[in-house]
Amino acid sequence: MTDSRRFFDDIQVGEEYESPGRTVTETDIVIFAGLSGDYNILHTDAEFMKSSIFGERIAHGLLGLAIQAGLFTRATQPYATLAFVGLRWKFKGPVKIGDTIRVRARVSAKKETSKVDRGVVTVERTVLNQRDEVVQEGETDLMVERRAGG
Amino acid sequence: MSQPSKFYFEDVVLHGVLETPAMTITEAHVALYAGLSRDDPREAGAVPEILPLCLTTGLGWRVPQPPLAVLAFMGVEWVADAPMRVGDTIHSRSETTLKRSMKEGGVIIEQRQVVNQRGEVVQHGKFTFLVAKRPA
Repeated sequence: MTDSRRFFDDIQVGEEYESPGRTVTETDIVIFAGLSGDYNILHTDAEFMKSSIFGERIAHGLLGLAIQAGLFTRATQPYATLAFVGLRWKFKGPVKIGDTIRVRARVSAKKETSKVDRGVVTVERTVLNQRDEVVQEGETDLMVERRAGG
Repeated sequence: MSQPSKFYFEDVVLHGVLETPAMTITEAHVALYAGLSRDDPREAGAVPEILPLCLTTGLGWRVPQPPLAVLAFMGVEWVADAPMRVGDTIHSRSETTLKRSMKEGGVIIEQRQVVNQRGEVVQHGKFTFLVAKRPA
């Protein structure tokens, strides 16, 4: 069987992808609070949040980050990723219960490393909601395998 | 006197270091995280790198001080220095390296490290928060 994963050699700077959408639910937020232990009132106190600038509970920023990481894997044929090595990320606006988010991504750089079997692919990502407002954006660095003998 | 329920901008000590208790990353954490995000582990026993980043936010609640009065989480820069496996036990160490007063609240930057059971820094980076000032 051929390996359908995309290797460092196959990925081109400038490639763009857009993921399907995903609706963020109250359940997502409750599970994420339980998993992470982050019970900040921004995410858990519906009454307090009525009087906040957001008017209601908002999703944890890192929940949005985690969801876009999953959406990215649905946006393109999988990379031969060895590791996620880092990110630089900004939270630009709230994700509220019922919002549908998707990720738009563009390969912005490729860098060889001291090891010949791998390289770093930098992907710029924008997380958009159903009104096309940018709610999160940033760059992620992925360590991706090179083709043997590539 | 009872403790204040929130830790405001004025309460944050520049260069104060907080070290959290530790927790063991289990299969259950990875399964819940992967089910929620679909950011799946690359192989059995591996830990998706964003999961420990998420877990540090909850670990920060387990220190003997009230939670920070966060108005908004502005950004994060993060580096995964070494892979983690299910069964690893992590804690986090953080230090406030910048406090900037604004009209509404103030910005704080926190350098944070994830440390494993062998004392190795496995992830590190910096969090930027907008924090409320103490109500007058």
